[in-house]
Amino acid sequence: MRARVARHALGVVLCACAGPAAAHSPLPGIEGFYAGLLHPFTTPDQALALLASGLLLGGFDMQRLGVAFGAATIGLAAGLALGTPTGDPAPWLFGLAALAATFAALAPGRALPLVVFLSLVAGALLGWASLPDAGPPRDRAFTVAGSVTGAALGLLYIAGGIDLLRDRIRAQVFCIALRVLAAWIAAIALLMLALGLGESLA
Amino acid sequence: MTTRTILPDAAPTWFALAAAAAHVDHGGAGGFVSGFTHPILGWDHVAAMVAVGLWGAFLGRPAIWLLPVVFPLVMAFAAAAGVIGVPLPFVEAGIAASAIVLGLLIAFAVRPPLWVAAVVVGAFAVFHGHAHGTELPQAVNPFAYAVGFVLSTGLLHAAGIALGLLVARPLGVLAIRGGGAVISLAGTGFLFGVL
Repeated sequence: MRARVARHALGVVLCACAGPAAAHSPLPGIEGFYAGLLHPFTTPDQALALLASGLLLGGFDMQRLGVAFGAATIGLAAGLALGTPTGDPAPWLFGLAALAATFAALAPGRALPLVVFLSLVAGALLGWASLPDAGPPRDRAFTVAGSVTGAALGLLYIAGGIDLLRDRIRAQVFCIALRVLAAWIAAIALLMLALGLGESLA
Repeated sequence: MTTRTILPDAAPTWFALAAAAAHVDHGGAGGFVSGFTHPILGWDHVAAMVAVGLWGAFLGRPAIWLLPVVFPLVMAFAAAAGVIGVPLPFVEAGIAASAIVLGLLIAFAVRPPLWVAAVVVGAFAVFHGHAHGTELPQAVNPFAYAVGFVLSTGLLHAAGIALGLLVARPLGVLAIRGGGAVISLAGTGFLFGVL
């Protein structure tokens, strides 16, 4: 009984300590890295593009996706090198998300060359969107490193997670659910694209 | 230290954090709720969405996934047109007609070729999408609104599919066809303003 109380007390203390411990940055610049890491998931355009591209890649077995991941990595580097901080990649990202998700909904696991091309484009746009605002070069480097890592890991985990779940869940209903999810993402991306265009036309 | 030990201890902390986060973004939450409830609170939308899922399940594979995929895609295109300001006449009549026609197709157990079913569903999705799209620019948070209404539309399809799975049970076909007749009658009521 005493040991159980002690374990509960330790649990409470650990939970209470977690906040203050996390409040300190053990490495200079690591906060920028973490901010960058989360960046692709905190903006609708990038999150939808990542989800749509991940669903598109997830239609294939992971063994066949080496070229697609390579293309996405090259695209990320190209986007970082060629993107302009003043430009707005959001409409392009929404357009890409709509296209990739539509393809994932209607023809999953088909036309690998097209998927490789879309991965390259997705990487380039995500790289462009990862360009940080003006600031000290060291902070910008940390933020960019975080953003690129977040985007690459996000793509890898979404596609890998789908592949893993497909292996575990053999039921056909899982593939149907993925198609429906892709259609929803395409619909949302298209709406956001239209809204952006509507605002620019008005 | 096991998960069973840690979870009860951590729960109060998490609830406290959740309560704090609940006051951060009313725009996003409001937009989501507004979008989510928009298709659900309109009975004409509900009837048509459920009918799409019901008909898809009744037709079997691949219609069971194709119709709920085609509908949101076409709906989004129409909503985009609504957002940009492209006019579409007879939107409300088209929405009511979707319930009537889809209900009749189910009631009479019509099994057209897959592409015809997709075209029929896609055509009606135009009216539903346009109605949603014209409301989108006024939403507090358009992204949350879009997520909410696409999600609730999909869930209504899923409800129809779940009902449609009764087709495998004794008397299931009769129940589904009866459901189609009820949807069609409801659509007639919407069209003439009775409901």
